[in-house]
Amino acid sequence: MTETTSQDSIRARLDGDTVRNVLLHAFLYGLAVLMAVPYLYTLSRSFQPTELLRDPRPYWIPPLAGEPITLEHYQYLLNNTLVVEWTINTFIIAAGATLLIVVIDSMIAFSLTRLDWPGQGLVMGVILASFMVPYYMNIVPLYQIVSDLGLINSYWGVILPAVASPLGVFLLYQFFKDIPAEYEEAARLDGFTTFQVYTRIILPLAKPILSALALFMFVYNWNAFLWPLLVLSNETAYTLPIGLVNLYQGNIDTPGLHMAVAILGSLPLFIIYLIFQGQIVRAVQMQGATG
Amino acid sequence: MGITERIMGGETAANSKTVMGLRKETIEGIVWSLPYLAVFTVFLIWPALKGLYMSLHTYPNKFDLTETEWVGLQNYVELFQDPVFYNAMEGTLLFVAISVPALVILGLVMALGVNRDVAGKRTLRAIYFSPYVLTVAVVTLVWGQVYSQSYGLINYYLGFFIDNPPGWLTSPDLVMAALAFMTVWWLVGFNFVIFLAARQSIPERLYEAARLDGATGWRAFKDITLPQMRNSVVFVVMVQFILQFQVFAQPYVMTQGGPKDTSDTLVYYLYRSAFSQQQFGYGAAMGYVLVAILIVIAIVNFKVIGDSND
Repeated sequence: MTETTSQDSIRARLDGDTVRNVLLHAFLYGLAVLMAVPYLYTLSRSFQPTELLRDPRPYWIPPLAGEPITLEHYQYLLNNTLVVEWTINTFIIAAGATLLIVVIDSMIAFSLTRLDWPGQGLVMGVILASFMVPYYMNIVPLYQIVSDLGLINSYWGVILPAVASPLGVFLLYQFFKDIPAEYEEAARLDGFTTFQVYTRIILPLAKPILSALALFMFVYNWNAFLWPLLVLSNETAYTLPIGLVNLYQGNIDTPGLHMAVAILGSLPLFIIYLIFQGQIVRAVQMQGATG
Repeated sequence: MGITERIMGGETAANSKTVMGLRKETIEGIVWSLPYLAVFTVFLIWPALKGLYMSLHTYPNKFDLTETEWVGLQNYVELFQDPVFYNAMEGTLLFVAISVPALVILGLVMALGVNRDVAGKRTLRAIYFSPYVLTVAVVTLVWGQVYSQSYGLINYYLGFFIDNPPGWLTSPDLVMAALAFMTVWWLVGFNFVIFLAARQSIPERLYEAARLDGATGWRAFKDITLPQMRNSVVFVVMVQFILQFQVFAQPYVMTQGGPKDTSDTLVYYLYRSAFSQQQFGYGAAMGYVLVAILIVIAIVNFKVIGDSND
């Protein structure tokens, strides 16, 4: 008697757990599908001929009749717009900014944590306080400065303000601070110079965080919008985000082209995301952990 | 304390060499900091100071910005009497009020869900985070079609249930909610991965101990999960407030502030003042007011959720 009731209750609990488990999966995967719908919609419409796109019905599966799939939107963009040039511009800006950020941020983080000099506490304090300066507050005076320096329409006009961001310094400072002193002491006793300590001890140890920071900064600067919009007024100097919006707002008005340009504009970063997902996510998680 | 000093117990051979009375390590420290500090000073500190100067001046000659005229606080006074500013403020607050709670709560729900025993965690994480790597230009392009009144995706399916589905970006009542919804889709992955990491770092034994005391479900969430994750919640709320308060690209690309100026925002107005109407002093003053508002929000945030149990 007691045995059967306990079995029943186990079964009841199992059923309860199973139901809950199914609901959980349904919720999480339902959400994933909803979040992926804009991707599928964009992708499928970018390949549809204009006649199909006039129909509000989204053809998730191409109809059999007629000419269901076309590359005309992509061909038009590649032949009649500067998408390729914009991609190259964006790559140069994002890669340049990333490289500079990784090098000079790691240098100052090294100096602030592994070297001892008067005033370093004050310097770190000012850098930390600069987090309080919202980026957009500075755009008006920053534009004047960049303009006075003759950097309008140049890569440097976009890169240098991006490099001034304190985020990388802050993240690397947190990491370098926790590297045990023993490694370095041994190296110093072996006669390592400061430069050798930096390149042979600190940088190799910091490799995971440096690559995470680099990927995050690359994504961030690839996607930057307002500042490149202000600095790059010449069509040949545009980055992808600026170019896309410019096409959207003026020169092209068919849905197929909008969708194709969205695909072309996000493809490079999406490939990078698929390969380096772990590092990009880690860079975000580091911000959360130190913040 | 420097490493060499710790080893040698004071002045070392290297450090005793001085240039102009400075220790070698001091010189090295400054040299290694210099590249960043130079960029930081010219492109972050200097504009912040120059902004204050600009906000106290007007620029009567659009073509010669060296010509300035001291006006004291006039730009600020005008700003606080400017109906467009108040309208943009209202739009911004509405956008923040919708997007920030949704971003935080949905991110938290997603993280707690994925943290459970589910199949395909990596796939879920990859999909949830993926919109974050899109540029806002692509996001607005795609959602412009999703929201389109006549041939949009949403209204096609809504058309089966109601007769005249609304124009999401053309209705004054819906436009900000539509922009906020799109923004949640775009950015929720950022919060999700931070919450996931925070949840995963809570030791399981806390939950086991609670289970022995009969605390599961909601009580475990309230007594263990939330307090343990508080730092990350504070961080995410703060970051989202600051980011969403500066919303610009969504109205700029999709609505130009319309319909009837209902989707105007502060940064978009700042952009128009300074870069379309060339009122640089006015734009700079608005930048400073924005900072002041954000600092107040930060203080309120810390007061409300930051130190409730200390």
